[in-house]
Amino acid sequence: MTRRFCAPLLAALLLSGFPLLAADAAKDEVDTCLSCHGEKGIEKKLPSGEVKSLFVDRAAFEKSVHGAKLGCTGCHPGYQEMPHPDRPAKDLAAFTSSFRETCKSCHFANYTKALDGVHFAALSKGNTSAPFCADCHGAHDITKPNEPRTRISDTCSSCHSAEAEAYSSSVHGKTLAATNSPDVPVCTDCHKSHAIADPKGQTWRMKSPETCGSCHADEARMKKYGLSSNVYTSYLTDFHGRSASLVAGQKKQAEKIVAVCVDCHGVHDIARVKDAGSKVLQSNLQATCAKCHPGAPPNFPAAWLSHYAPSPKKAPLVWATALFYKILIPLMIGGLVLQVLLHLWRVVVNR
Amino acid sequence: MTKTIVRFSKKQRVEHLFVMLLFTLLALTGFPQKFYEAGWAAAIVNAIGGLERVRFLHRIAGILFSVATVAHIVGITVLALMRRAGMTMVPTRRDFSDAIQQISWYLGLAKEPAKFDRYDYRQKFEYWGMLIGSLVMVVTGLILYFPLLFTRLFPGEMIPVAQVAHSNEGLMAFLVVITWHIYNAHLSPDVFPFDTCIFTGKITVDRMHHEHPLELARMTGDAAEAASGHGAEPGGTPPPAEAGNA
Repeated sequence: MTRRFCAPLLAALLLSGFPLLAADAAKDEVDTCLSCHGEKGIEKKLPSGEVKSLFVDRAAFEKSVHGAKLGCTGCHPGYQEMPHPDRPAKDLAAFTSSFRETCKSCHFANYTKALDGVHFAALSKGNTSAPFCADCHGAHDITKPNEPRTRISDTCSSCHSAEAEAYSSSVHGKTLAATNSPDVPVCTDCHKSHAIADPKGQTWRMKSPETCGSCHADEARMKKYGLSSNVYTSYLTDFHGRSASLVAGQKKQAEKIVAVCVDCHGVHDIARVKDAGSKVLQSNLQATCAKCHPGAPPNFPAAWLSHYAPSPKKAPLVWATALFYKILIPLMIGGLVLQVLLHLWRVVVNR
Repeated sequence: MTKTIVRFSKKQRVEHLFVMLLFTLLALTGFPQKFYEAGWAAAIVNAIGGLERVRFLHRIAGILFSVATVAHIVGITVLALMRRAGMTMVPTRRDFSDAIQQISWYLGLAKEPAKFDRYDYRQKFEYWGMLIGSLVMVVTGLILYFPLLFTRLFPGEMIPVAQVAHSNEGLMAFLVVITWHIYNAHLSPDVFPFDTCIFTGKITVDRMHHEHPLELARMTGDAAEAASGHGAEPGGTPPPAEAGNA
């Protein structure tokens, strides 16, 4: 009975002014806190000697995603009292990390994903410079991390500058800068944002055809840029792709390197196939093959059909050989089975 | 006791056993690479202990198989040149008429089955198919084993050609073995459940009479019967060495 009565009441309350009331309360709280923390000089000297500024820029906070929703104590519980209880933090890193759990209470899914990520793995090994929530997202000035999309690589570049530089001159980076198109991958499209896998591991390497294929096998998306969406399947059916599939399915770690997309095309510095600097440009192929096949002669790169399916125009000999067997095998096996059946029939008849 | 005669020499029996084991190992390590997407392919790769070991075994078996093939060809060539081998495995015009008569008999169009000499047309077909197929496998296998060496002289496109040929020829050989050869050696009512001849070397006179009457006639000196055959070798003794086995 009670529940039936309560539900409409609650709905009415939510639909009316309740959220506004909450927002007003938050605003009041912010005003109170910022009467001190809005002053630029406010800071705290940590036992390590580092100085932590306690200044909060009101304009930045109000523009942030939390500005209209949260008050201060939402993230800083227990600071209502004056003077604030002492929170021991020996240095800046410890100070930042003491707030990690804060984000978890609302952003549980992303928080747990981040626990699986390479950054948390570094943190838990004692690397205090490894980032967690606030290092990438900011604190009081949090805005949508992907607006504009170029912001994402800027964020990563604050630590991974070499990769970011290579990326910005790559076909992906240049196209993103020119078009800001959602089709173009930024760091997080390949690496993910929270559950970032260790890019140095075999698992990550062997996953790269799938990673690249998630866009490059998408016909609609590739058509816009005049690219073939056949590259993924043609890779998988070739020797390298077959090896990669088998190695990915085996329990034992692969001993030899199996060539995946990035081994020929590059990683962050990936170039348009027809660009002069492209590793897969016809004139550069021999050198690219030689990375794994030392001493590859000039004829060797043609062993790879450049993602083309054999046809009378491309690789006619390969096409003809496949056709020959497509005809021969059924004829041969059909003929032999027919003789077996004839023989059996004769045995039965003669009985 | 049933009377038996020796049909295959020790060398031929060992050769068959060797090829049989290598063929099995090659198929076991080759097909997971061809059918890389299948669940059983992954199971075999895991059972063997990873792709690297699968390829290593495939290459070792391939080298041994190549040696056996070359040794066989050199062997029969030398014997043929020395005129010590009977040309019993060489296809003749008679094989075509035998095939026609045999199939007519199957269909009920002829009263008698064909009478065969040492090897019938089916055994010759299988032998030559196997020999040519082995050569294709050996050559394409070596191309795939040493692509860098090969492309020093030949165009790169020959590598995928070799790959397609190796993969399909291997599949065809496997299918021939599991349909035709298994039928003839195990399932055929004539030999069911197991034709032990190629392992023991011995065959009963009864079967000889049934399956190779012309050869039997030559052996026993039945001139009238032998004259109806072809390539008859007077003297009635079996040739000292055989060109091959089927």
